[in-house]
Formats: sequence, C-alpha cells, structure tokens
Amino acid sequence: MRYEDRISIGGTLVWYYYICKREVWLIGHGIEAEQENDYILLGRYIQEIFYTRKRKEIMIDNTIKIDILPGRKVIGEIKKSSKFLESAKMQVVFYLYYMKREKGIDMEGVLLIPEERKRIKVSLTPELEREIEEVIEDIGRILKLEKPPKAVKIPYCKKCAYRSMCWA
Amino acid sequence: MKKPLYIFSSGRLERRENTLSLETQEGRKVIPINSVSEIKVFGELDINKRALEFLTRNQIPVHFFNHYGYYIGSFYPREALNSGFIILKQAEHYLDREKRMYLAKGFVAGAVNNILKNLEYYRRKGKDLKETISSIEEKFKAVSSVDSIAELMQVEGEIRKTYYESFNLIIQVEGFYFDKRTKRPPENPINALISFGNSLLYTTVLSEIYRTHLDPRIGYLHETNQRSFSLNLDISEVFKPVIVDRVIFSLLNKGQMQLKHFDSDVGFSYLNDKGRSIFVKEFEDKLNTTIKHRNLGNVSYRRLMRIECYKLYKHFMDEEIYKPFVGEW
Repeated sequence: MRYEDRISIGGTLVWYYYICKREVWLIGHGIEAEQENDYILLGRYIQEIFYTRKRKEIMIDNTIKIDILPGRKVIGEIKKSSKFLESAKMQVVFYLYYMKREKGIDMEGVLLIPEERKRIKVSLTPELEREIEEVIEDIGRILKLEKPPKAVKIPYCKKCAYRSMCWA
Repeated sequence: MKKPLYIFSSGRLERRENTLSLETQEGRKVIPINSVSEIKVFGELDINKRALEFLTRNQIPVHFFNHYGYYIGSFYPREALNSGFIILKQAEHYLDREKRMYLAKGFVAGAVNNILKNLEYYRRKGKDLKETISSIEEKFKAVSSVDSIAELMQVEGEIRKTYYESFNLIIQVEGFYFDKRTKRPPENPINALISFGNSLLYTTVLSEIYRTHLDPRIGYLHETNQRSFSLNLDISEVFKPVIVDRVIFSLLNKGQMQLKHFDSDVGFSYLNDKGRSIFVKEFEDKLNTTIKHRNLGNVSYRRLMRIECYKLYKHFMDEEIYKPFVGEW
C-alpha cells in the first residue's frame, strides 16, 4: 500500500475506531460503506499544500474539514458539533503523529466548532502520542480478526452508511 | 433519489456537458446524470464511447433488450467496489461442494416458500389450489436429501411446472390460457409476460449487485461457467414469485393487460410497446412498494434485493447463515 493510501485509510480507521470497531474491520477488509465515501488521499494533498500559498480546505468524509494553513503548519478541523469530538480529535492526532513520524514535520491541530463557538487546540502531547500508538496497535489487532466484531446497536447506526450491512 | 431510466423510443443517447441527452423523434430530453441509477434500453439506440465513459464514471449499468423484449446483454461498468476478501469468500463457497449446495438450496427454498405464499393467498381467495399446494409441499421434501445441483434443479423445475400449471386457476381471464411454460420462444401471452418479467428482474438484481462487493459471475444454483452472470439469477429465483408473478396476476386479473397489448409472430407472442410500458410501470411500482423489515424499518422490494446481497456478506463472514427472503401477503 502506498503511504498516501495508508494515511487516508489510517485516519479514517482512527475516526471509526472511536465510534465502532466493526466498521474498522469492514473498511480494513475493503468493504466500503454504501454512500459514496469520498476518501481523499490526504497525504497527496498535504504534499500539494506545502507547495501552495493558499489556504486549502480538504473535506474528509463525515463532514470533517481539514484546513492546512501554509506557513503556520496547522491542521484545522471544522465540525458541526462536538458529538464525535474524541473521534475527530484523535483523527487529527493521528495526522499530527504521522506528519511527525513519517515526515519529520511538527504540526499543530485545531478543532473548530462554529455552532458551539468552540475552538479546541490539539497538540501532540507525549500522552496522546502514546494513546495513538496504542490505537494503531489495536486497529492492527482488529484487522487480523477472522470475522468482524459483532454488530452492536449504537445511536450512530441510525445514520451510518453500513447500517444495512450490519442489520440485514 | 436515483431512478432507473427506461428507454422505449429509438434515438440517440449522448453526453452533453455533464448531463445525459436523449434525442428521439419527439425531440431532445435532458436527463440529469445524478437522477439515474441504471438504464434499460428497448428502443433502437445509438450510443457512443464518450457516453459509455460518462456512464462508467457515474457507475450506471445499461441493460439492452431486443425488439421482442428479450435480454441481449449488459454494459457493466468497471467495478466500483472491490473487496478481495468478499471475492475470495464467494469463490470458497462455490468451490466447496457442501457450501455451494447450502446456498443453492437456500435460493430454491426461498423460491418455493414464496411460491407457496402466492398459492395460499389465492387459496384464501377461494381458488381451488389445495392439490397444487400439497403437491408442491410433497416435492419440496426431496430438497433436503438431494446432493447435486443437477438433482436440485430438477426438483425445482418440477415444482415450477406444477406451480405454472395452476396459473389457469389464478388467472381466469378470457383469452389468456396457459398450457405449459415455453421459453424460447414464449408461445403465448402468459409465457411472454413471464419471460419479460423475469428479464426485468434479472437486470434489476444485477444492478443491485453492481452496487455491492459481490461478483455477479459467481453463482451457486446457476452454473457459474455457463454464462456471464449467474448470481443475479440465483437471487432472482427468490424474488420471482414476489415481484414478477404478482405483477402478472394483478395486471391480468384487473384487466389492465389485454390481448391488444401483445403482438405475435410465427408461433410466438410478445408484448408490444404499449404492453411493455404498462408492465414496466406496474413492475416499478411493485419494486417501490415498502414492507417492514425487523431491523431496518420500511424498505422497498428493490432495497430488499440489496439486503439479500448483504445477507450473503454475513453468510460469507461466518456471522449469520443465509436464510432467503420470504414475503408476506
């Protein structure tokens, strides 16, 4: 797998990891959700962005916006609500960790929730770095399972694009 | 909401900017690409590579039918969804004899149960179907003990024969008499309706499979190597009595479909343009009819075909063994 794919899949898997482990398994086995999940190869964009002077907005699925502010090296993320705050935050942490590890670039992250007038800074602390490492480890473990983790009804199911696959 | 596009008239289908344009004698019709889920072509249609490329990018399969309404083939755009895991599982369940038999029997069981539902419905309405029902139930007992696809196909064939013979009791309409099932070609109007309805269903299921990770070339009941697509035929078996047969019963018994809607050629019968559009409308209405699903709320019959595919996923993932859909009536 090219590293661009790994980062986009990886980020997505981290997002889902905090919502539904079954979804992690499904995506990891190439079973994408029903809706046209527009997974953008973030890595490629990030590279592009370093060569532009303009602020870039990148849409990632489930309404996450990632803004790269050139020169400021900030990964910003606009969210509708703080509903999946942990998910969103850890996804940013993953990118920060990735940029640091793979590219040797230290970046800062920020979560913007305009409707709640919140602005949450995300920095890669040693604790978060340890947590994301454990998550990456655990995602690896889930992906090695023979079958997907059992479907569990959670509020997220209602709007989930995998709903029919889990509850058919 | 994306909908199937049926093209009955002759003309030209093109890409214009980022939209579909259909040019016929009546003029030009512009069809937003995002409103189309699949295309079924009955008319004499010209289409070029640029248009096919456009349809591929928008993941729209196209199914072609000839002048008599027979299925010719499909334009199946390159796969949008791919999962090596699912394909391998699909093949594994085909190659392992026992696993293959299980699924093949499942499709037959679904078909027979849905056939019995139809018969019981008409029996409640006072049709004399007691013998047909017990004869089919008797024949169905053999299914559990057969251990080859050929035998299974034979049992299924006998059950269908018995079922079709009862059509004269269900459809009591002047001018429509059903002696036996004839396919190539259909010799009379009822046979023509069955053939036409089945082709519509096969292509509908194929379009649904296209939106899943399943490979339509690997079927279980229908021999995989005999034809280009077979999984859609398998899944169609389950839905034929629920969709096609009920559409036929309803159209004939309500008098919406009459002898004037058929043309005949030497020794065979086929639906004319008017007849086809009447059938298609009823067929689509049926597909859009919703029923209550235990977990997913109200779902349409079309959606149930997709759900049938997902039940196969679960079967392949060793989560839940496949149990075919059985409709209520």
